[in-house]
Amino acid sequence: MSDTPSIGTQTTVAEKVFDFVDERVGLKLLTAKMLNESVPGGSRWAYVFGSLLLFIFIMQSVTGVLLMFYYVPTADHAYASTQYILHDVDYGWFLLSYHFWGSSAMVVCVFAHMSQVFLWGAYKKPRELIWVVGLALFALVMAFGFTGYLLPWDLRAYWATTVGVEIIDKVPVLGDFLARFLKGGAVPGQMTLSRFFVIHVMVLPAVLIGLAGLHLFLFRCAGPAGPFRGTPTELKAKTDYFFPRQIWKDAVGMAVVFGCVSALAFWEPVVLLDEATPDPGDYHPEPEWYFLFIFQHLRLKMFSGEFGQFLASIALPGALAIFLLLLPFFDRNPERNIFRRPFALIGWVVLTASILLFTVSAIINRSFLD
Amino acid sequence: MQPQLKSKVRCADREVGEVSRVIMDPLSHEVSHLVVSMNGTGERQIPMVAVQTVADDLVQLWSSSSEVLGLPPFKRDDYVTVHEVEIPGLERHIHVTPGEVLVPFPELERNVKRRTFFAKLTYVMGLFIGLPLVFPVLKFMMKPMYAPMDNRWLKIGNIGKVKFNDTGTQFQYKRTVKEAYMPEAEVEKNAWLIKASPAVLEKVYQGKDMEFREAGKTIWTNKRDVPYLAFSGKCPHLGCAYKWRKHKVLGQVFLCPCHLSIYDASGQVLDGPAPRPLDLLPIQVSANGEVQIIDMEFKAGTKSQTRIV
Repeated sequence: MSDTPSIGTQTTVAEKVFDFVDERVGLKLLTAKMLNESVPGGSRWAYVFGSLLLFIFIMQSVTGVLLMFYYVPTADHAYASTQYILHDVDYGWFLLSYHFWGSSAMVVCVFAHMSQVFLWGAYKKPRELIWVVGLALFALVMAFGFTGYLLPWDLRAYWATTVGVEIIDKVPVLGDFLARFLKGGAVPGQMTLSRFFVIHVMVLPAVLIGLAGLHLFLFRCAGPAGPFRGTPTELKAKTDYFFPRQIWKDAVGMAVVFGCVSALAFWEPVVLLDEATPDPGDYHPEPEWYFLFIFQHLRLKMFSGEFGQFLASIALPGALAIFLLLLPFFDRNPERNIFRRPFALIGWVVLTASILLFTVSAIINRSFLD
Repeated sequence: MQPQLKSKVRCADREVGEVSRVIMDPLSHEVSHLVVSMNGTGERQIPMVAVQTVADDLVQLWSSSSEVLGLPPFKRDDYVTVHEVEIPGLERHIHVTPGEVLVPFPELERNVKRRTFFAKLTYVMGLFIGLPLVFPVLKFMMKPMYAPMDNRWLKIGNIGKVKFNDTGTQFQYKRTVKEAYMPEAEVEKNAWLIKASPAVLEKVYQGKDMEFREAGKTIWTNKRDVPYLAFSGKCPHLGCAYKWRKHKVLGQVFLCPCHLSIYDASGQVLDGPAPRPLDLLPIQVSANGEVQIIDMEFKAGTKSQTRIV
């Protein structure tokens, strides 16, 4: 208050309220602790993705809760209630489309965030646990996408789920149980919709909030890794606090994400296909774009047959997940500069390129099907 | 040994004051400077390199008192306290407390025995509450998972629809489903029928009648000389719906648009990732051409057939 020119010694009501709270919870200190976090080497645009993910999650929660005011998770009303949101409720088309494109933004930012951490070598000691929790959060984001997809109960929803659950069925030993557990029976129906709904709107958000909190806590324990180049003196010279420069960059990033998602929702609003049915007519089933690369590589001849399918849909993704999980524990080399870690760089390029390749080829393949 | 607050500070020639503050380096977590209160002539900031020795209550400097006095006064505004900033791990490195800060240990806590026992007891209580819930919760969740098979015959249309030999014809039919508390509903399904030539029939049955069994009992037998074949509409690769299509090289085939599995008129895999041929269904064709099937579904993606509906 000393730096604000106050009229005489009078304090405003707002200041009194602030002081009241501060006296009880130490608000000033708390705010200072939150904002005065040293960023070694200074703020960067490359660091915005974590904050963006938090922002996108909040927007998904808000739009998701709003959608639930009209949506009904029953096999006989899910489709009609979604159409009602799209066509009858004021701005329903926008909120639903925002939620839809928001999920894509989430996947894009998760990929960017993970790539940044990987390329900067920020998963290395002492940040192993942040990385491990981050991987769990990545799995949650994909699970959000998979479960949310079924809820409109149109053909796209039904078939993506049918195929997706058949893939889960291929998990050794537990597969059949897991698939039946998710479907609530042998074939997709009301039980499946109920289960996916409660997982999407209750279970996953609760787990995500917990794990995201843990992720941030662990991050604050270890502190930001900073750039992979520069001597301690150079880093110290460029060090600033989280507020204001990094927060400014994060805020600009959020505005850009909001702008992009809104624009997509505006120009490419969600259009439902026909209502879900086990007889799809001329519809060619296909998952959401971020699952396309898995979908496409299941088409390969080398992944044919029961074993090939297990290899492509369970073993390879599972091996990649375990590899990423263990990465900080066997990669003990403290070198963080990506240009001095050739295997890491090549690995990242190959993985990214193959995901792109399979995604693009799945899109090209569409035109050969009609 | 780290310097302590209130320690006397002695220069080469004489004592100049006492340590009033300590400045930490946020990167190395080491003490980088001491701030010395100069017996009433302000404060000076002295780098640790200027320190010769640190004893319990005395800090000895290399420099003379006039050199220290010649330093610019300490600027408090260039610094923040460690309480106002988040520097991970810093607290663990600070040992510059002026002494212990104490609170009384409550009387009742002084002679408590069996602390470990009480700690472990909380886990036991947790198990006592949690374990009995596992089975009911599991059963609660599993209620709809394993429904009995339905062996009703369903009328799906008239065989007159099938015009040519060895050509796939789609029969769409409705099946009534009563799921838990939901009102009875009809779901649309489809099967593909083939009027098989003797060659195709031989390929399918290989001279043997096909038995459909459940729990050791035969439900139905498809006779090898009946030329009508009904395939379940579900692709045995990953459960999509396939179509009868023209293929540039292979001619007329069953093609699944999902993962591009291709089957011939007898249901055999010609190309693509499918692990087994199309699934035959029990079929009856009455004298007036009425087609009936048992609407079975099999698990996709496995080499052997496992019935799930």
